[in-house]
Amino acid sequence: MSLTTPDPTPTTTRARPGRLAPQPGEVIDRRRPVTFTWNGVTHRGFRGDTIASALAASGERVFSRSYKYHRPRGLLTADFLDPGCSVQVGDEPNVRGGHRLVEDGMVVSSQNTWPSLKFDVKAVNGLAGRFLAPGFYYKTFIKPQRLWPLYEKVLRRFVHAGEITADVSGGVPGETFDKRYAHPDVVVAGGGPAGMAAAVAAALAGSRVMLVEEEHELGGHLRWGDADDREALRDLRAQVAAEPGIEVLTNSVVSGRFDDNWLSIVQRGLPQVFERLIKARAATMIVAPGLIERPYVFEGNDLPGVMLSTAVRRLINLYAVRPGSRAVVLTANPEGDAAVEDLRRAGVEIAAVVDARAGDTVVRATGRSEVTGVELSTGARIACDLLVTAVGWTAPTSLLNMAGDRPVYRPQAARFLPDPQRMPENVLATGGIVGDGTVTELVAHATAIGREAARRAAARARAIGEAVPTRGGDAPALPNPDPTPVDVPVLAPADHPELFQGSTHGFVDFCEDVSSKDLVIAVKEGYDSIELVKRYTTVTMGPTQGKLETVNTVAIVAAATGRTMAETGTTTWRPMYAPVTLGALAGRIHEPVRYSPMQSWHERHGATPLVAGQWIRPEHYGDPAAEVRAVRTGVGIIDVTPIGKLDLRGPDVAQLLNLLYVNKWSKLGIGRVRYGVMCAEDGVVMDDGVTGRLGEDHYLMSTTSSGAATVWEWVEDWLQTAHPDWRVHVTPVTTAYASINVAGPRSRELLAGLTNVDLSADAFGYMQVRTGAVAGVDDCVLWRIGFTGELSYEIHVPASYGLHAWERLMAHGADLGVQPFGVEAQRILRLEKGHFIVGQDTDGLTRAYSGALDWAIKLDKDDFVGKPELVWQQEQGVTTQLVALQPDDRTTVPEEASQILAADGRIAGRITSSRMSPTLGRSICLGQLEPALAAPGTVVTVRLVDGRDIGATVIEGLAHVDPEGARQRV
Amino acid sequence: MNGNGHRSANGNGNGHRPAKLRGYSAWSLVQHGLSRGDWPRTWHDHDMRDSYDVVIIGGGVHGLATAYYLARDHGITNVAVLEKAYIGSGGSGRNTAILRSNYLTPEGVRFYDRSVKLYENLAADLNFNVMFSQRGHLTLAHNDASLRTMRWRSEVNKHEGVDSDVIGPDEVKGLVPYLDTSPDTRYPILGALYHPPGGIVRHDAVVWGYARGADANGAHIHQLTEVTDIDVEHGRVTGVRTNRGRIATKAVVNCTAGWASLISDMAGVSMPVQTFPLQAAVTEPVRPFLDTVVVSGTLHVYVSQTDRGELVFGASVDPFASYSIRGSLEFTEGVAGHVLELMPALSKMRLLRQWAGLCDMTPDYSPIMGPTPVEGFYVDVGWGTYGFKAGPVSGEAMAATVADGAPPEIISSFGLDRFADGRLVGEKGAAAVGH
Repeated sequence: MSLTTPDPTPTTTRARPGRLAPQPGEVIDRRRPVTFTWNGVTHRGFRGDTIASALAASGERVFSRSYKYHRPRGLLTADFLDPGCSVQVGDEPNVRGGHRLVEDGMVVSSQNTWPSLKFDVKAVNGLAGRFLAPGFYYKTFIKPQRLWPLYEKVLRRFVHAGEITADVSGGVPGETFDKRYAHPDVVVAGGGPAGMAAAVAAALAGSRVMLVEEEHELGGHLRWGDADDREALRDLRAQVAAEPGIEVLTNSVVSGRFDDNWLSIVQRGLPQVFERLIKARAATMIVAPGLIERPYVFEGNDLPGVMLSTAVRRLINLYAVRPGSRAVVLTANPEGDAAVEDLRRAGVEIAAVVDARAGDTVVRATGRSEVTGVELSTGARIACDLLVTAVGWTAPTSLLNMAGDRPVYRPQAARFLPDPQRMPENVLATGGIVGDGTVTELVAHATAIGREAARRAAARARAIGEAVPTRGGDAPALPNPDPTPVDVPVLAPADHPELFQGSTHGFVDFCEDVSSKDLVIAVKEGYDSIELVKRYTTVTMGPTQGKLETVNTVAIVAAATGRTMAETGTTTWRPMYAPVTLGALAGRIHEPVRYSPMQSWHERHGATPLVAGQWIRPEHYGDPAAEVRAVRTGVGIIDVTPIGKLDLRGPDVAQLLNLLYVNKWSKLGIGRVRYGVMCAEDGVVMDDGVTGRLGEDHYLMSTTSSGAATVWEWVEDWLQTAHPDWRVHVTPVTTAYASINVAGPRSRELLAGLTNVDLSADAFGYMQVRTGAVAGVDDCVLWRIGFTGELSYEIHVPASYGLHAWERLMAHGADLGVQPFGVEAQRILRLEKGHFIVGQDTDGLTRAYSGALDWAIKLDKDDFVGKPELVWQQEQGVTTQLVALQPDDRTTVPEEASQILAADGRIAGRITSSRMSPTLGRSICLGQLEPALAAPGTVVTVRLVDGRDIGATVIEGLAHVDPEGARQRV
Repeated sequence: MNGNGHRSANGNGNGHRPAKLRGYSAWSLVQHGLSRGDWPRTWHDHDMRDSYDVVIIGGGVHGLATAYYLARDHGITNVAVLEKAYIGSGGSGRNTAILRSNYLTPEGVRFYDRSVKLYENLAADLNFNVMFSQRGHLTLAHNDASLRTMRWRSEVNKHEGVDSDVIGPDEVKGLVPYLDTSPDTRYPILGALYHPPGGIVRHDAVVWGYARGADANGAHIHQLTEVTDIDVEHGRVTGVRTNRGRIATKAVVNCTAGWASLISDMAGVSMPVQTFPLQAAVTEPVRPFLDTVVVSGTLHVYVSQTDRGELVFGASVDPFASYSIRGSLEFTEGVAGHVLELMPALSKMRLLRQWAGLCDMTPDYSPIMGPTPVEGFYVDVGWGTYGFKAGPVSGEAMAATVADGAPPEIISSFGLDRFADGRLVGEKGAAAVGH
């Protein structure tokens, strides 16, 4: 190229910034104009324009205000990373204007500017900049401390970001987020020439390939290149299109790499789907993101009109936008040289080309709202409205780092490069991230890498296939990959001068308004490791996450500390590589809901729903007290389907029950049911329920509703880890059965006409189990148990007949006055009876003896889970005791969790359950109390929630109603 | 530290006058801005001495606060803080910076309340703005069981004099308009435990402020100094071995998190601790809209908005023990789904970064603090997911423990011996969602 002699004064006739005549590689469709608004003013663009290119074509140069000093900012990279072009689009904040395509009717505005983008009051901060050193907020607003909330309010106004609206409906109707699972052989991250060539080679070698490109079309830097580049691009695109094994995802990005190549891929711009998260388990991943051009640090480097060479080339060649009128170009590489040619062709006057390879450089850019001049190291001052820099590259190694790689700094190439030694077997890299070369050299390297990725994917498939023991003879043949690795040609990085900062201070982090001077000050104050500098100054913590800033930061910190760049190292690159919407991560919101088969009946009959974990169940049908009375005097039925149920089969079930429950199981006869309590290893009550023996080796265990999943895991855990030799089959059957409790003195009467089971007290006694038909449905299990304290039968019906059985019970019981009852009535009934609820009347520290379970705990058993702790607790005595209490004032119901106070005012316990008892016509409670206060007849003080104190008396036993248990044994 | 043995080694015993911390103010900012002079170093590098009166392992908020209070309250200044990476690189720099005292047990409430009180005065005490923003803390209840637990907490809190109460959905909506409080959501908001003094703080500033205060009082902060072994002879600590050489000392305080059990093993003291990763994530900034901290135990998520506009998310610890501090995709999916359940309007906000830290979990969700069977070996460990908010009170109490040889009343419930005695301090109900 020819070096231009600096020309300090502009020529008089200049081409204005704006749209050029059609360019050979342009991506805009001039036949399809679009109209959108920018800060309320209507603008035009073409389909294919980004927001930034359309605005730049209209001559706009200022797109945002900076975070701290509210300096005007224009385009820097003109792509996704552009820190100066975050805009609000409708209800969407922080839209990357350099990437998002304009659409008809789009409403675009600048973020956090007041009163306007052109005149921003907070720009006065710029004048105060010398006082706003890094971390200034740590050094002031200290006293008086009571004023800090006011200071904080002011600071929060400076937040540099878009807005979300409080619309709880969650956005645009019909617009969704989505997820997809994929299992490709090879994922190629990056669709430039290397990525395309690698994908083609892998597909030709038999792999199913996913080719992921962040921009809107494949091609990488070839897209804004010369005629030869465009020719190569056409050829590569044709090869990709010809391969049916390649799925191309544009406007998509691999945002994370997790263990065993579990990849998160964000796919944008689909019709009706705002963003989709693809979760791909890839056999191999090829990382081919190319290179990111690095800004140069010097005074005024953030002025609108100071741009990177790639930005200028993109604007001219892709969008046919003339980025300025008169340019100074600082170049240290062929990309910068090419930018000069592009600018000339676009009619931009080249005021000076400053060749950094010859030792020349830019000292500062000058101007107020945009660049108006440049001062060179030669001392020359040149008027211009565009300053282009091309000083080097950053290899975006994030995905490799997530795979365990640590980049190594190579001074000759002035960039960090991947360390192939530390890359796992299933991750490869090609293209600019590895080295430099002609398109032919890049394609040759990528082709070899693509073949190698396919070979490794095939080897993995073969290894997995061979490891499947049940693989049948008619299974498809396994791949037979070449055992020899593919010979990969060397792709060496080109030499490049180390150019990070000129002789003046300028901005390093454009998102966060952090300057090189700030970094030096932080180091001097003692924040001298790269991580401390980051945390103190917030450098690299903004939306670009260090992709533009990290290497310059490392260089400046290295210089300030006297260490090398390699010694300084980089900060950790963490997921996400590119930001992902919460909507895409969440996918279609799907919180599981469980209903019993009788739900439709409940809804038709006015049940009030109750959220109980994953289940929605009837709380009551209008009047819980009436439901209680019906059960006490007649008969009621309740849907108890959520009760956890485990079908246990095998000769060792009794051993298992002996291990997991605190009581004894060896002598449980066939047809018998027993109540059991489970403790964890610390002796704390974990769950309770009844288990019935249906046959010689066949039991049905029930658990609490909330404990169903936990107990299943618990049982499996003990079986699989401690006793794999025991012969027990565990099948969770919670939802295989619909469960109905028929309770009340007339329950036998109700059920008698509906079952073939002999219900007479002699034939089917209390705490027994039978199987038989109910309402014509075979294979039902009937338990005679009594959580409510009444004669009752718990029937488990095959789930698909649940609604039928329920409706038959209701119809058949009409003349008995059968009443459906809900969870609330059941809670009252069980409280009257003094049955505790695990997790309500016990807590995370309640060992079994504190749960008044002395009668159940059999310490003479050889062993059971929690035994050592319970032996110990028995010796030490309890610290709290479950008791039943009755408030002295019969009408006052202390709120559950009301505290019980000792005479000295200490907390000595609490009310765990409380209700007004319809049966007794008085308030009743269960509570946890210190043993000193737990003796029957003791009057204790209960502190009500409103602060009043009342008296309550501890009663004998736990049952308020029928302590002898006569009612349930009839 | 028994008697005055170590204090006298320092020569001036309690005669040490704590250094007055000053130098940071609006006026000094103006002066420096005009003169463009350099600020003094926040803390200094020192050569490592052959011996120290007290060696603190772990340069996080606990270790640095202990060093600071040893000097300020007890005149013990011949102290080294050993940090294997850079200060604040562990849990102190990875937590989500939420402060509160609305715990479940009276012991827990009293302890964390003292910490909140110390935090309220920390900026002035350290002459370093730690930006404690007492914006209020909401723990949502989505079912009657959690509402009952909230009531339990608020009743205990009130009894201990801590501002805490259960409020209804309308008041919740008033505090956080972005919450979906309609009754037909999957997990309707039935109420919340509201704790006005709770809030967030700038966690790094707390670390740096204590480092500056400890340094000004003579403590040596040694970064990039990894402890490789602890020498114990005849049941007493005699020294600490590091990658930079041996230090003779008679008092060692284990203030580490994530590696607490491994460091204690070096002294031959076994800790009932399992280490689990805890993940967190942060979004891109948006204009401030969330003034309080919002926690949902049912949905395993908590969220706050920093003064920079970012939303910070956290959840429960990972379900399996591990020393891995890499994030997982499943965590971000879960947290995003749960946040959108609460605040559907956030679907177009973007997650920017995720990270993980290590949590040393004890069986009762309370810490282990105080002396151990090895004389001179003290522990301040087992901090689970609540270590950061206890930094100041822990430093104060551990300093007293080392100076007096016995733990002060406020941490007497948290001794290692409780696992032998069975006097556990059950905080699972208030601390199971790590924040």
